[in-house]
Amino acid sequence: MGRTYLGEFEEIVLLTVGILYEDAYAVAITKEITKQSARPVNVSAVHKSLYRLEKKGMLKSRLSDPESKRGGKRKRLFTITPYGKTALDESMDLRTKMRNQIPDLAFKWDIG
Amino acid sequence: MKVNIPKIPHAFFKWYCKREKYEEIHGDLEEFFYEKVETSGSAKARLFYTWNIIRCFQPYAWKIPKSQNSNIVMFKNYFKTSYRSMIKHPLSSFINVFGLAVAIGVCMVTYQFMDFDYSIDRFHEYKDEVYLTTFHVNREGTEEQYGMTPIPLGEMLRQDFTNIKNVCRIQDENAVMKAGDNVFHENIRFVDPEFLKMFTFPLKWGSSGSLSDPNSIILSEEMSIKYFGSENPVGREIKATFNDKKVKSFKIAGVAQKIPMAHIIGFNFLINFENLKVYDPTYNFSDWKGMVDATFVQVKESSNLPVIKSGMEEYRKLQNEVEHDWPISSFDFVKLNDLHLSSGEIRNDISYDGSREGRVGLPFIASFILALACFNYINIAIVSASRRLKEIGLRKVIGANKKLVIVQFLAENLFVTFLAGIVGFFLAATVFLPWFTQFAAITTEFNLLDGNMWLFLSGVLIFTGIVSGLYPAFYISKFQAITIFRGTVKFGKKNRLTKVFLSLQLMLACVGITFAVMFGQNSAYQAKRSWGYNQKQALYVNVPDRSAYDQLKAELRQHTDITSISGSHHHLGKTIATSIVHLPDKQYEVQELSVGPGYFETMGLQLENGRFFEEFKESEHRSIVVNELLVESLELTQPIGAQLRMDSIQYEIVGVAKNFHFDNFYYENRPIIFTLADKKDYRFLTVQVREGAELDTYDVLQSEWGSLFPETPFQGGYQEDVWVGFYEELGIMKKFTRAIAILFVLLASLGLYGLVKLNLTGRVREFSIRKALGASVKNIASTVFNQYLLLSIAAIVFGAPLGHIMITAMMDMMFPDPRPFAYTSAPISAVILVIVLIAVISTQIRKVSRANPVDGLKVE
Repeated sequence: MGRTYLGEFEEIVLLTVGILYEDAYAVAITKEITKQSARPVNVSAVHKSLYRLEKKGMLKSRLSDPESKRGGKRKRLFTITPYGKTALDESMDLRTKMRNQIPDLAFKWDIG
Repeated sequence: MKVNIPKIPHAFFKWYCKREKYEEIHGDLEEFFYEKVETSGSAKARLFYTWNIIRCFQPYAWKIPKSQNSNIVMFKNYFKTSYRSMIKHPLSSFINVFGLAVAIGVCMVTYQFMDFDYSIDRFHEYKDEVYLTTFHVNREGTEEQYGMTPIPLGEMLRQDFTNIKNVCRIQDENAVMKAGDNVFHENIRFVDPEFLKMFTFPLKWGSSGSLSDPNSIILSEEMSIKYFGSENPVGREIKATFNDKKVKSFKIAGVAQKIPMAHIIGFNFLINFENLKVYDPTYNFSDWKGMVDATFVQVKESSNLPVIKSGMEEYRKLQNEVEHDWPISSFDFVKLNDLHLSSGEIRNDISYDGSREGRVGLPFIASFILALACFNYINIAIVSASRRLKEIGLRKVIGANKKLVIVQFLAENLFVTFLAGIVGFFLAATVFLPWFTQFAAITTEFNLLDGNMWLFLSGVLIFTGIVSGLYPAFYISKFQAITIFRGTVKFGKKNRLTKVFLSLQLMLACVGITFAVMFGQNSAYQAKRSWGYNQKQALYVNVPDRSAYDQLKAELRQHTDITSISGSHHHLGKTIATSIVHLPDKQYEVQELSVGPGYFETMGLQLENGRFFEEFKESEHRSIVVNELLVESLELTQPIGAQLRMDSIQYEIVGVAKNFHFDNFYYENRPIIFTLADKKDYRFLTVQVREGAELDTYDVLQSEWGSLFPETPFQGGYQEDVWVGFYEELGIMKKFTRAIAILFVLLASLGLYGLVKLNLTGRVREFSIRKALGASVKNIASTVFNQYLLLSIAAIVFGAPLGHIMITAMMDMMFPDPRPFAYTSAPISAVILVIVLIAVISTQIRKVSRANPVDGLKVE
């Protein structure tokens, strides 16, 4: 497969799925992102990214047992696939690599 | 406490969410909901839940219409197939789209023209409150409405009726206007100060109230630029010379904004009505015998009009006391809003209706072109159905019923018409309308915000789409799948309706061509007609008075090119008076020309009987010369020596002139009398020149005038130029009809070309076999021609006379004296059509004859 493309929000969702590991479903992910990034996230946006990442093959999912706190409905739990990990690593590597190429001088600002 | 999730958002969610995702997504939402109930209360939770439902309304959750029966998918497929079949057959699609586009373009131009015409003088705020006062006169059994009014009427109306809000009299006179070095002859409108209240012409500079001051003047924007350039002239002076002697200075009090194009009642210069006394010191404001050009009233309620009308009964009596010849039978009012459209029926009114032929002709042309394009489409659609047979068969096998196939073809046709609509609108806006406005004397553009226009366009599109598509759709949907696949479908040749359509198409083309041929012939005929006198070698000059006439005449005598000089009060093609002649037993309205003795010879008028005027003899003032038409109208058996009474003076007819045209050929000839003019009344000097000396003499006239009267601009010209507008219009008409003819021929030949080509392509195998068996080109050609021969003959036999009858009727409306009835137009149009047909068919036969029969027979 050629270059993979990860959107910024997709990348965050992917990371969160990894963090939550056993309990990564939409509600938990939404809360986790809100907590970590301190930015308001709607569950619908998370749904969208999750389904798209699953379609791309970076996530796989299964259904849990029914739970009463959600009206006796099952939830969809996501886990990262090896391809998802590769995509994540590539994305992170690219960023680190490019970040390191920035000469120190670029960050030396004369005050005033 | 158990809180229920809101029902309506839930139902909405259930409706849009796909079943397999419902559990997990709604589970998430419910989890949030219950949590929110705990933290923020149920109201907020409900709101939040609803918000989430809306947020989740996204493609990932939707039930994607994957089912094959969905309408959207079906139409998508129809769209795709029509698109493909259009791309695959560029020629027939081009003919269809282009033909319809031209027709729609013509319809749009027609709409724009009509819209413009209907908006004339309708931009005034009080167009429904302002009325023109008119009166009816019964003349020998026919009631006629006149647009002018007795002079005192306006003032009386103002005083006697409280329910009349405003009254405005209007009188137009000529004057020489002078500001700085700019001196021109101009038309001045004398109006009451209420003019600008009743007619809402906004001012660019100055104030409208100033009109009540008899020393102020209001200019149109055009005049302001003509005399003062772009600067604001308010406060400056402009000098008016009335009747070439009375000079009065006016202070410019206002300049009007540009008057909208769609106007007839406008103005160049506005001055107070009182100034008529300056113009003519003898002007009598209470003279019931005198007339003003127009008297407008503004009423508060239209329901007051009957009361006012009955109150005017008194004026009728006053008027009829002084006017015995034609007593007024009643007064009437015409609303400003309707004035332009009804002014064709009103005599001597301030407005006019010059677009009657346009209102009749353009819709006629537009509907014919549209019909022609529709028939083109129908015929091509039927013939090209052969290419779509397999598709239709397949659709039917898969489960499409007749109705669905009809819907498909109608939808496809609407798609084509829509495309044609876009192209047509573009064509109209960029080619047709600019071309049309060039000579229609209107400036108009499509206003993209005009809702009615879009309504009209979509109406035309839907109508055309359905009318042209209905029959082909029914026709195509009838085929049975089994016969299609068995290859035994028979179509085209045996279908009578198809033949009818084809002949109708040819017939329409024939009528259209006849239309153009006849109008072209008529224009040529009118252009060549004699005026009844020698207009080519005559020139004229306006003179202010007798002394100017004498001075100019003395100078001109020295020029050898000028063979005769004469003076007159009226002049052919320029001015004429209306008089009433009395015979012992009847009275009759005639036109009166007051001329000097040598006038007949100078103008080259022909004598039928008797003699023309002799040099000034006292007795000649009781002599008149009449035209033949007057003799006919009065049924005089012995015209010479007959006695006529006019204004209580007895005249004797001494001569009869051959009929001539006073005005251009749009006007009927009228009975005319010539009276001998007093030398002091001379207003025109007319000269007859040697042939070929016209141009030089014109220069001589101008230079002599310039040296004699440097203060007054020269007014005069070639006699031939008095009808210059008429000939321009004829030229325009010629150009216009030629363009229409080309359009018709183009559409007809395009349609035929497509039709013949398709037809021959369908018979490629037949022709290949014929050729392989030894048929000659002639043989093949005759089989093809035979197919169209009968239809063409039928079309021409019906179409040409039909066109002839229709167009003769139309032309009678426009010209009192159209080209004499002639049959040449029908054969000419038939020949044009036949040439087109032969040309079209021959190109196709040539192709067939050149093709290798092997290619036609090979089956891959």
